[in-house]
Amino acid sequence: MGQRIAWLVFKRLLIAITTIFFVAPIILIFLTSIKSRVDALAFPPVWIFQPTFMNFEEIFGLYDFGHYFRNSLVAASTSTIFAMALGVPAAYSLARYKFRGHSNLAFWILSIRITPPIAAMIPVFILFRNLRLLDSIPGLVLIYCTFNLPFVVWMMRGFFEDLPIDLEESAMVDGCSRFGAFTRVALVLAAPGLASTAILTFLFTWNEFIFALVLTGTTARTMPVAVQLFMRETGILWGHMTAAAVIMMLPTVVLTFFIQRYLVRGLTFGAIK
Amino acid sequence: MTSTTTVTAQRQQRPLLRTRFWMHWSAPAIMLIPTVAVLVSLSLFPMFYSLWLSFNEWNLGDRTATWRFVGLKNFITIFTTDPFFWPSVRVSVTFTGVTVAVQVLLGLGIALLFSEEFRGRGLLRTLIVLPLMISPVVAGLIWRFMYNTDLGMVNYLLYLMGFDKVDWLGRQISAMPAVMLADIWQWTPFVALILMAAIQALPDEPFEAALIDGANRWQMFRYLTLPMIRPALMVAILIRTMDSFKIFDLIYVLTLGGPGVSTQVLGLYTYKWGFKFFQMGYASALSYLMIFMMVVFANIIVFFMRRRVD
Repeated sequence: MGQRIAWLVFKRLLIAITTIFFVAPIILIFLTSIKSRVDALAFPPVWIFQPTFMNFEEIFGLYDFGHYFRNSLVAASTSTIFAMALGVPAAYSLARYKFRGHSNLAFWILSIRITPPIAAMIPVFILFRNLRLLDSIPGLVLIYCTFNLPFVVWMMRGFFEDLPIDLEESAMVDGCSRFGAFTRVALVLAAPGLASTAILTFLFTWNEFIFALVLTGTTARTMPVAVQLFMRETGILWGHMTAAAVIMMLPTVVLTFFIQRYLVRGLTFGAIK
Repeated sequence: MTSTTTVTAQRQQRPLLRTRFWMHWSAPAIMLIPTVAVLVSLSLFPMFYSLWLSFNEWNLGDRTATWRFVGLKNFITIFTTDPFFWPSVRVSVTFTGVTVAVQVLLGLGIALLFSEEFRGRGLLRTLIVLPLMISPVVAGLIWRFMYNTDLGMVNYLLYLMGFDKVDWLGRQISAMPAVMLADIWQWTPFVALILMAAIQALPDEPFEAALIDGANRWQMFRYLTLPMIRPALMVAILIRTMDSFKIFDLIYVLTLGGPGVSTQVLGLYTYKWGFKFFQMGYASALSYLMIFMMVVFANIIVFFMRRRVD
C-alpha cells in the first residue's frame, strides 16, 4: 500500500515538474512584460511588483510597432483567405475524383511542404527581385499563399475523404449540380475542418520568419522579423522585448484552445487523425 | 430540406442536362487548375531554376556580374576546399540526432504520464502543448532571456544552488547544448501530443486480457502499448527529423551560428552564402545538397517504418 502511494506521489510530482518546465518560461515572459524597467532588471528577480502596461504603450508609441503588427495581420489573414480559396476546391477534387496520376499529384503537393524554406528562398528572392515584389505586402501574400497551399490541400483532402459521399449524391439526385453538391453539402459538413485548417494556416503564417526575413525591408516587415531586429538593437530592454513577444504569442495561445481537437491532425499533415 | 428544395427550383430554370454533363467533367479540372498553376509557377519553376543555378556562378551583389556556367565547380568546391561545409553538416546531424532522440524519449514519457486519469488533465495537456504553437522566433527570444548571463532564470537557479554565472550562449562548449535545450523545450510537446492521441485511441480489451493473464506494467508497455503506437511514433520521428534538419529561425535568433561556427547548421550556412555574400550559384548548390540529405534521411526512416511492421 505504502509503495503504491509513493509511486502515485512520484508520478504527480513528475507531472508538476513537466508542466512547470513547459509553461514557466512563457509565464516568465508575461510577468517581465508587465514589470517596470527597474523591476525587470533586478537580480535576483522580484516576484511581487506593481504591474504596469508601460512597456506595451512604449513599443507602440516609440517604435511604431503597430506598423509591423498590421503587416503581420494583413499578410497572414489575406494569404490564408487566398490559400483556402484556391486549396479547398483542389482538395475536394483530389478527394472525390480518382483520375490518372491523382496520387502522384497529391504526393508532389506534399513534397513542396518538406522542402527546406532556405532552398526555396534563393530562387524566390531572384524571382521577386525581377518582378519588383521585394519588400511588398502583395509579394509576401503571394509567397505565403503558395507555401500554405500544400498544407490546405492535404488537410482538406483528408476532411473531405471522411465525409460519406452518399450525402452529395442524394443532393445531386435532388437536382444539385456537381459544384452545388460541393458548396452546399460538402463544404457545410466539413465546416469544423475548414475552420481549423484556416486557423492553423493563419498561425503558421503569423509565426513565419525566414521568408519575411529575406523578402522584406522596412515597408513590409512583419512582427517576427521586427522583434528579432529589435532584440539585436536594444539588447538590454527586456521590458520592451517581452511585451513584443507577448503580443506575438497572444493569438497563438488563444487560437490553440479553439483548435485543440484538430491539432494532432494539422501538425502531422493528416497522417494521424 | 428547405435548402434542397430551393436548389431544385433554381436548377430547373437552366438547361439541366447539358450543364450537368459539362460540370461533371470539368469540375475537377476547374477546381484543381488554379492550385496547380500557382504551385508550378511559384514553387516548381523556382526549384528547377535554382537547380540550374547550382551549376553556375552568379554574384548578385555585383550589379555588372552575369551568369557564368561552371559545371560541377560549386559542388567540387563544397566537397573539397570549403572549410565550413563539413563542420556545418556535422553540426546539423548532431543537432538533429540529439534533439530528436531526446524529444522522442521525453515525449513518450510525458505521453504515458499524461494519459492516466487525474484532475485537471485536459487543461494541463493543453498547457504543455503551448510551446510548439508559438513562433520559433519568440521561443528563441524566450530562451535568450532564460540564458541571459545577468538576469536569466537559468543563472538564477544556479545562483540559488550556489554556482557562478555562466554565459551560456557565448561559449563554444555550452552554446550547442543550450540551443538544443531550447529546441527540446519547443518540440517535445509535439511528440507528446501525437503519442497522447495515439495512446488515447488504443482499445481496452488487450490490456484487460493482459491484466487477467498477470502481465506487469512493463510487459504491458513493451508488448502492447509500444507496438500499437509504433506507427504514430514513426510519424513523429519522421516529421521531427525533417524539421530539425532544416532548422533555421531558432538558431538565427539565439546564436546566429556562433560563437565561431559552433552552432552553424546547414540552413544558416546556406543563408550566409545566399544573402550575406550573394553567391546565388554556390548557395543553390548547398541548398540542393541539403535537400538531397533530407531525402536520404526520410527514406531511411520510411524503410524502418515499413520493415518492422511485416
